[in-house]
Amino acid sequence: MTISAQIPPRTEFTRRRLGDEAFITLLVVLAAVALFLTASLLVPNFFQLQNMINLVTNNWAVISLGVGVTFLLVSGNFDLSVGGVVALSGVLSVWFAQSAGGANALSTGLGMPYFLAIACALLGAMAIGGLNALFVVRFGVPSIIVTLGTMMVARGIAQVITHGSQRNTNLPEEFGVLGNLYMFGTSVKLPVVLMILLILIAVFIEKKTVFGRKTYWIGANAVAATLSGIDRAKHITYLYLFSSAIAGVVGILLASEFKSGFSNRGMLMEFDALVIALLGGVAIAGGFGSVVGMFFGAIILAVVTSAATGLVLSPDWQFTLKAIAVFLAIVVQTWALARRNR
Amino acid sequence: MDREQQTPVLSVVGLTKDYPGVRAVDDVTFSIEAGSVHCLVGENGAGKSTLVKMLTGALQPTSGSMKVRGQPFFPANPQEARDGGIATLFQEMHVVDELTVMENLTLGMERSRFGFLVKSDLDDRVVRTLNAIEPSIDATARVSSLSVAQKQIVEIARAASSGASVIIMDEPTAALSEREVERLFGVIRRLRESDVTVIYISHKLDEIFQLGDAVTVLRDGRHIATAPLSEIADRSDLIRMMIGRNVFQTYEPRKTATGETVLEARSLANHLLDDVSFDIKRGEIVGFYGLVGAGKTEIARALFGADKASGSITFKGNPVGHSPRQAIEAGIALVPEERRTQGLFTNLSIRENIPVMNLRKLSDKGVYRSSEELAAANEYVGKLSIATDSIDKHTEKLSGGNQQKVVFAKCLFADADLLLLDEPTRGVDVGAKMEIYNIIKNMADTGKSVAVFSSELEEVLGICDRIFLLYSGALIEEMANGPEVDIAHILNVVTGGGEGAVQ
Repeated sequence: MTISAQIPPRTEFTRRRLGDEAFITLLVVLAAVALFLTASLLVPNFFQLQNMINLVTNNWAVISLGVGVTFLLVSGNFDLSVGGVVALSGVLSVWFAQSAGGANALSTGLGMPYFLAIACALLGAMAIGGLNALFVVRFGVPSIIVTLGTMMVARGIAQVITHGSQRNTNLPEEFGVLGNLYMFGTSVKLPVVLMILLILIAVFIEKKTVFGRKTYWIGANAVAATLSGIDRAKHITYLYLFSSAIAGVVGILLASEFKSGFSNRGMLMEFDALVIALLGGVAIAGGFGSVVGMFFGAIILAVVTSAATGLVLSPDWQFTLKAIAVFLAIVVQTWALARRNR
Repeated sequence: MDREQQTPVLSVVGLTKDYPGVRAVDDVTFSIEAGSVHCLVGENGAGKSTLVKMLTGALQPTSGSMKVRGQPFFPANPQEARDGGIATLFQEMHVVDELTVMENLTLGMERSRFGFLVKSDLDDRVVRTLNAIEPSIDATARVSSLSVAQKQIVEIARAASSGASVIIMDEPTAALSEREVERLFGVIRRLRESDVTVIYISHKLDEIFQLGDAVTVLRDGRHIATAPLSEIADRSDLIRMMIGRNVFQTYEPRKTATGETVLEARSLANHLLDDVSFDIKRGEIVGFYGLVGAGKTEIARALFGADKASGSITFKGNPVGHSPRQAIEAGIALVPEERRTQGLFTNLSIRENIPVMNLRKLSDKGVYRSSEELAAANEYVGKLSIATDSIDKHTEKLSGGNQQKVVFAKCLFADADLLLLDEPTRGVDVGAKMEIYNIIKNMADTGKSVAVFSSELEEVLGICDRIFLLYSGALIEEMANGPEVDIAHILNVVTGGGEGAVQ
């Protein structure tokens, strides 16, 4: 189609530059490496392969939750329910798997076969995600309020089932297998491998698929996205189900690792997941951020907290350190982007 | 009043603003008389916005100086500019919907002691100003309940009551109907009588001749002329200064309109529409003309499935679905009324904006092909001559006309057979307007259908083959365009005088 007869169309406008997102991700990676090297100079025995591996493996649960939380943040929505869902699905998997005739209420479950038990626990977790989607999409309630509510709903149900305590008796033999399975004869457990797989899949979805791109468009301008033919309601529903399913799996694996269902498990994990996403450059307003950034955000947080506690400070300082790291990171990112796009 | 002896209220000398690779404003020098309406005109990217941003402290000049009433003036931020007596009305509404009119008027001017609000005569003063400007607006009403035009007047009242000596108005009539424009002009003339200077930016040249005392023309960041309007011969004279060529828009009958009906709307009705029925044919450009609130946007959104309406709409023989997604799949695309909030992803680049309406074309089983996104962006930036140095530029950074072209590119990329254009050239300068009209005509020439929803009569008469006149949610009359159209009759119909003329 010829648009303009007078003006011969130019065809090349490919003066490319590094996108803002790649720029921020690079910044986060560099900060993580720099912090690690600084910590290595200051803390004895910090610069060891095993320590590097530990930085990742100790945080598999939060990083996994961070994937779902990152996608939702990019779409312009919060998910604060993931910590509660971790507790709920863990407790459910235990309750469903405990054999029916126990000595007391806390040791009596539904006696399901293990794989049926975890499948049902996962469905329970995803029901919370469905509830999130229902209120956010259908009733238009701000996501921060909805997920704050469902966080308490999920943990509340877990508390009722465990009577505010733990369920750890009368479990089948295979219950403790998944969470403690060492892979390929190393010290790396199955959950860590699953986390790495999840990250790879998430990066593929984010960078290479239509679904990933739609998430950015919705986050950048939900009205324009709808008028451009994107089904926002469906997309946000998928994202909440996706996030709650991840949290459900994390809860089931943690319950398996400790062979118990504990209603306080995953406490404050939703905030840690949010913190690492923000450290990794995900914009709270939506439309901006990446899973890779979130991953290195988690590394930054792990380095800062483990180095400082290994150095001089008592573990009581962890929260304060997290706060300082978040504030610094957000100020630096905002400043760097503003400077770049001036 | 002797002009020669007066100190100009505002003067700029050698004002220059550099961006990396671009000189947006280049050595501009002119001055503005106190108590006048001074118009600022120029094409897309001529530097008007940048100049205004420097005057209002949003941007700092690279070099040059500004003076207000003879005093050096270097606002570091918008607050300092307001303190210096320069207030601005922006193209986009800057009112807070959730507050009342009164709260909006006093916003940012509240007196406080130790952080607590204290009563002052402020409330009385703003109410007096508002009453002088537009008595029909209730100061206790919530702003969200006002029309676009009324919101605008609230904004003007806010600027006027802040005691500004210069008020900058950027496209103040873009969203107003003709009758509201007259009211606004009354307001502006009253401001002038009370010795307030108005810097008036508009692409509607008739307004400038109607209202202005003097005009400053910018082109490509340079100052072309500053002259009293009495020294300017006519529109074409001004347009020549702005773009160096003559582009008067006249309707030329086109022969591509066929008898084949593509869209059939019957008895559309909702909270605003009242039994609207019409057909759109293949290869024709139809215009929907009416004042603000006549139902233009509602018809467009109903056809697009964005709003609910009763009645039936069939497109190429099939009923149209109830969501924009289904409409786009059927081959209908919409350029929405508000490009920044409804059309564009302003935080994303040109490249990321263009493909969104036709993801199927760029993907294979859900996998996105970025290389084709790149090719598509290059193609449409070239085709629509979008002025940018890179397709990775954020659309936020483009001028109004170029932003609108990106929205057009989105719709063209969707390969739609029917294009709905809601106020397609609002806030767009003369040159870009002509380019957009060419795009529209070319669309129709290739057998597509275009519906233009506009409150600018000149636009509708310039390009449309058939025109529907709307008043208060009803379709009053259909007419064919041509040299013999009776403009007086059209204006009579759309202002409510044509009820007797229903077919």
